[in-house]
Amino acid sequence: MHGPDLAGIVLLLAAAGLVGQMVRLSWRWRVGGTASVDWVGGLRRLAHAYFHTVHEVVARDPYASRMHVMAAGGLVAALALAFVLHVGGMRGRAAVALASLILVSTAVSVAGVALVAWRRRPPRPRRLTGGTFNLLPAALLGALVFLCGSTVQVIRVGGSPEAFAPSSMALALLGTIALGTLVMWSVEGPMRHATAGVVNLMAHSRPRRFQGRIDSALKPLDLTGLRKPGPHLPIVGAVTPASFPWPRLAQFDACVQCGRCQEACPAYAAGQPLNPKRVIQDLVEATTAAQGGQSPLLIAEAGIGGAIAPETLWACTTCRACVHECPMLIEHVDAIVDMRRYQTLELGAVPAKAAVALETIRDTDTVAGRALGSRLDWATDLKLPIMAERRRAHVLLWLGEAAFDRRTQRTLRALVHLLRHADVDFAVLGDEERDCGDLARRLGDEFTFQDLATRNIETLERYAFDLIVTADPHAFHTLRNEYPALGGHYRVEHHSVTLDRLFADGRLRAGDGPADVVTYHDPCYLGRYNGEVAAPRRLLGRLGLTIAEMEWSGLRSRCCGGGGGASLADVPGERRIPDMRIAQARATGAAIVAVACPTCTGMLEGVIGPRPVVLDIAELALAALEAVPGAAEAVLAS
Amino acid sequence: MQSRTTPVPFLSGRLRMTDYEALLKPLKIRNLTLRNRMASTGHAAGLAEDGMPKDRYQLYHAEKARGGIGLTIFGGSSSVAVDSPLPFSQIDVSSDRIIPYFESFARRVHQYGAAVFCQLTHLGRRGHYASHNWLPLIGPSANREQAHRSYAKEMESWDFKRTIKAFGDAARRCEQGGLDGIEIIAAAHHLIDSFLSPVTNQRKDQYGGSLENRMRFGLEVFQSIREAVGDNFVVGLRMAGDEMMSGGLSAQDCLRVATAFGNSGLVDYISVYQAHGDNFANLSAMLPDMSYPPAAFLHLASAIKAEVDIPILHASAIRDVTTANRAIQDGHVDFVAMTRAHIADPHIMKKLQEGREDDIRQCVGANYCGDFAGSGGVKCVQNAATGHEAFMPHIHVPTTPRRKVVVVGGGPAGLEAARVAAERGHGVVLFEGESRLGGQINLAKTVPWRENMGGIVRWLESQIRKKGVDIRLGARADARAVQAERPDVVFVATGGSPAAPQIDGAHLGVSTWRILDGSVEPGSNVLVYDEMGLHSGSGCADFMAQRGAAVEVATPDREVGAETGHLTHVAYMRKLYEGNVIQTPNVKLSQAYMEGNSIVAVLKNEFTGAEEERVVDQLVFELGTLPNEDLYHALKPLSSNDGEVDLEALIENRPQTVNTNADGHFQLFRIGDAVMSRNVYAAIFEASRFMAQI
Repeated sequence: MHGPDLAGIVLLLAAAGLVGQMVRLSWRWRVGGTASVDWVGGLRRLAHAYFHTVHEVVARDPYASRMHVMAAGGLVAALALAFVLHVGGMRGRAAVALASLILVSTAVSVAGVALVAWRRRPPRPRRLTGGTFNLLPAALLGALVFLCGSTVQVIRVGGSPEAFAPSSMALALLGTIALGTLVMWSVEGPMRHATAGVVNLMAHSRPRRFQGRIDSALKPLDLTGLRKPGPHLPIVGAVTPASFPWPRLAQFDACVQCGRCQEACPAYAAGQPLNPKRVIQDLVEATTAAQGGQSPLLIAEAGIGGAIAPETLWACTTCRACVHECPMLIEHVDAIVDMRRYQTLELGAVPAKAAVALETIRDTDTVAGRALGSRLDWATDLKLPIMAERRRAHVLLWLGEAAFDRRTQRTLRALVHLLRHADVDFAVLGDEERDCGDLARRLGDEFTFQDLATRNIETLERYAFDLIVTADPHAFHTLRNEYPALGGHYRVEHHSVTLDRLFADGRLRAGDGPADVVTYHDPCYLGRYNGEVAAPRRLLGRLGLTIAEMEWSGLRSRCCGGGGGASLADVPGERRIPDMRIAQARATGAAIVAVACPTCTGMLEGVIGPRPVVLDIAELALAALEAVPGAAEAVLAS
Repeated sequence: MQSRTTPVPFLSGRLRMTDYEALLKPLKIRNLTLRNRMASTGHAAGLAEDGMPKDRYQLYHAEKARGGIGLTIFGGSSSVAVDSPLPFSQIDVSSDRIIPYFESFARRVHQYGAAVFCQLTHLGRRGHYASHNWLPLIGPSANREQAHRSYAKEMESWDFKRTIKAFGDAARRCEQGGLDGIEIIAAAHHLIDSFLSPVTNQRKDQYGGSLENRMRFGLEVFQSIREAVGDNFVVGLRMAGDEMMSGGLSAQDCLRVATAFGNSGLVDYISVYQAHGDNFANLSAMLPDMSYPPAAFLHLASAIKAEVDIPILHASAIRDVTTANRAIQDGHVDFVAMTRAHIADPHIMKKLQEGREDDIRQCVGANYCGDFAGSGGVKCVQNAATGHEAFMPHIHVPTTPRRKVVVVGGGPAGLEAARVAAERGHGVVLFEGESRLGGQINLAKTVPWRENMGGIVRWLESQIRKKGVDIRLGARADARAVQAERPDVVFVATGGSPAAPQIDGAHLGVSTWRILDGSVEPGSNVLVYDEMGLHSGSGCADFMAQRGAAVEVATPDREVGAETGHLTHVAYMRKLYEGNVIQTPNVKLSQAYMEGNSIVAVLKNEFTGAEEERVVDQLVFELGTLPNEDLYHALKPLSSNDGEVDLEALIENRPQTVNTNADGHFQLFRIGDAVMSRNVYAAIFEASRFMAQI
């Protein structure tokens, strides 16, 4: 063994630089709040997190996946091997074998870099960022030439190359420049995705994601400090980068600006002033600005400019399409809701109609502004069993806001007929049901959400039931995933799952109706938020319907535009999100858009002009049931 | 940056002030909860058979329940006693024989989630002694009722006893039959309000004199009813908010009556309407037609609502759901009835709940239902299915095989044929020679107070446009054009042209059509000669009088406008008298000739043969139409059935299968005035009946 050669020194310098850069990064993130991070656990799962969780997302774009595996994998392998060769000073036959491995690795990496460059050939795809990202292939190529050249030198010389030979000097210079650039870029530049990305994987705010589970529940805000009167009330929500715990800043920094979120965002597609990639970059820039000791505002306030326009926040439908597409596992929606919380709770700066909605919810415990006692107005003739009278039932049917709307009352009516026909023992809360709090929470009004949730939980605790069934994915998500943090643990089922089971078990049968072609529009809060894309499709199949899938469907479904209070904020755009979605539905040629959410129903049915008929899966199921000879009479009799 | 996100309906909260919330709100009456606040008031549908509400009657009301109504009240003026006459084929509740019919009635309505009441009464003096039992009529006093020209016997003490008991017994039968409640009518000069009104009650005993005494009989009736039925059974009162009669009950008096009954604890709701009906002029105020403004009498119900704590129901020219919702929302009443509106479209509430307000076939106020229910049962001028639910559906469903249907003519017959064909899933081409649809209805609606008739066309046109009918306006189809469509079925609905009198000098006159369509200016001194007694003659006379003409209407009939129907006739008479139109019945036009610049029309008395002359500057005649049948005859040899109709199959609602020409390519039928001069209802009914089997 020999000591490091000149290339080895370059490599050592680069490694030292990288360590220094990590220190700089951690210094940068000190702006953020404290967080308890399980470093051991994070380190232990790192390989799995990267090769499994991250790669699952990356692989959805096969080109990008191939590109990254080759470029990054080859480079990392070549660097590691080169360290052994040049720093460790390995020589002899083993060195030849090692060198050939390095050459193979660099070759693979060069091919990957070629893919990087090819992807960025003009005209560069709109979603990709330019700037230093455009120089990345050159820097990588420089590093690879350095590695390749130094290795060839070792083989050729058969020992340590002459340090002051012009070729060695030239290679070292190239290596220093190339690796130096890459190391420099690991704090400010395209390579930060690797450094911050690793930290993000270890210190991620939703570690359940690495267990292959969907983790979409918003975290409750600790409001206890605010309930005690005192001179120094804590600030709620995000106002500056300092408002985020530091791992969240690391997460923003991990953004590789691939623009997948931008492609998936319905608001961006509609020409509304929201680009999730831009939002994250604005947060990154705000973090940079905060280094100077000044904490710049995220959103303009009191005449002081902010990094992000308020319209950007309110255009978000919270559909999580961006989160689903992000290979760096960034949680855009969490950031947006955190910023909304500050806007709503500290400033009261909620867009007009959303403000009215929040006020209505606070005053009436309903979004529609109706008396609680009127929730069953539509169902007088159905004589629904009431929990307060029954005390126990197998199923607690959660009606939600759909009970106040003429359109969605038809969905509920169909569902009630189906449950009755299948002999399901169910009851409703009637005037004891309050709004689940979804809208208030997404609009940033955590107080109202927790208030509603707490009181709903108190009500639910009084009764015995096995299962909550609801036709509203928003209530489904909130009750199932967000009530547990406040002490309410329930088995909650979306009606697509219930109906699918009832048809599977033979408790409901479908008759020979017209074998219509339908397209199914996945509700975000059922699909992406809860992973349920199969049950509704199975159900439609059992009804004898053929599904023609839309351009965006399943977990990558396009939002209807109605989630997260976006339809109330009503931020102007160039197009309407529901119009775009209906255009996709129309393109399938299906006569019917099957929906499974009252919000989607309203949004899609609000589209004017010729369009497929919008029907909830419960309505389709009832129609199929009624096609069974004699069933329509039986439904009537129930 | 101009478009915005479409707001989710239910997310808009308070911003949406009217979502028919008031109308869709359930209403509790005693222990009964109605699913919404829409009702149909008791009306004599003319459907009782042998005094019993059988299948046809039940299906007529079950359709309203299926259409989403909250409460349907059947059996207008159902009689509680054997001496209550049945002048408009009402229901007889005087024996237990009725109970099984009530049971199936209740079952049929309840299956669709609506509540059902029966209206009960003793008609007292309102009717004719020549009724089913030939018994003397009774009343508080022995005075005469004008409409039926009947006197009544002054009630004796045994009459009080048995009548009060009869109300209780009848109420019990309703409850036993499973009905949710009853409504007692104390209006229209039936027995109870004959006591209330000082015009009809001249008694000197404890039942006459003061208002308190005059209310005694009615309160005793309610007492008897309340004792006969259980606690959940609803008992309502239908009364006038103003008798609208000189010397009768004023609005103030009616308010006192309503307060006394309403606060007695015996009455669960009050249904308020108006007038007395002793004569036809007043009866038309009870059933206000298109000559009245919308919700014309809401103020009467509103006044009572302000004083009485039980639910108040009102019906009278509330023709659309917006008005209905507003009446409730603004606190005038607790629930509304749109009775005639439900005769036009029994699915109002269902369409409302489905967000299909545009599809509601709105009542135009033609009062065809009220005028002609007596002959063959309730019917609607624009809805052929009403009263025919057993064989004609209100909602057509697509059928197979899908046929290509060509309809020639866009009047009421052609429009209805096209509509039903399209609803049944057929491909339809509709030719109309004019630049707009509607045919003769476009003439009918030119009479100012009858412009609502245009609603019939508006709805039919909107429906066929929605259903994708290929409408060819300004296209007068000939046989070749029809054949070019390669039809399976052809309907010739080409209507008719005005018939002229067969007299010397007929050419000197013009038809009413040319006056009404504006192609001939009204003269200054006009004789309208009307042999039809329908709307065109009287309407044209009114039309010209309103434009300043001195008009005389001559007719061989016993009266002018004899065929317009007893309620509609009132409006015509009002207009003709107001326009100083001279009415000359019982004469026939025998000839016309020119004398100088004037026309001399010779009118011959139908009974004496005596002739009289009129010197006028314009002679207008109305003798109905003769069919436009050229196209029909041209198509006959090309058709498979030579235009032949299997009449038995038609009336038994079976498909037409005549096939007499193997070379024919399509079935051929003609409908409406293309066959013979008839009215709008006949045209629509015929089109519907044919088309429902194709």
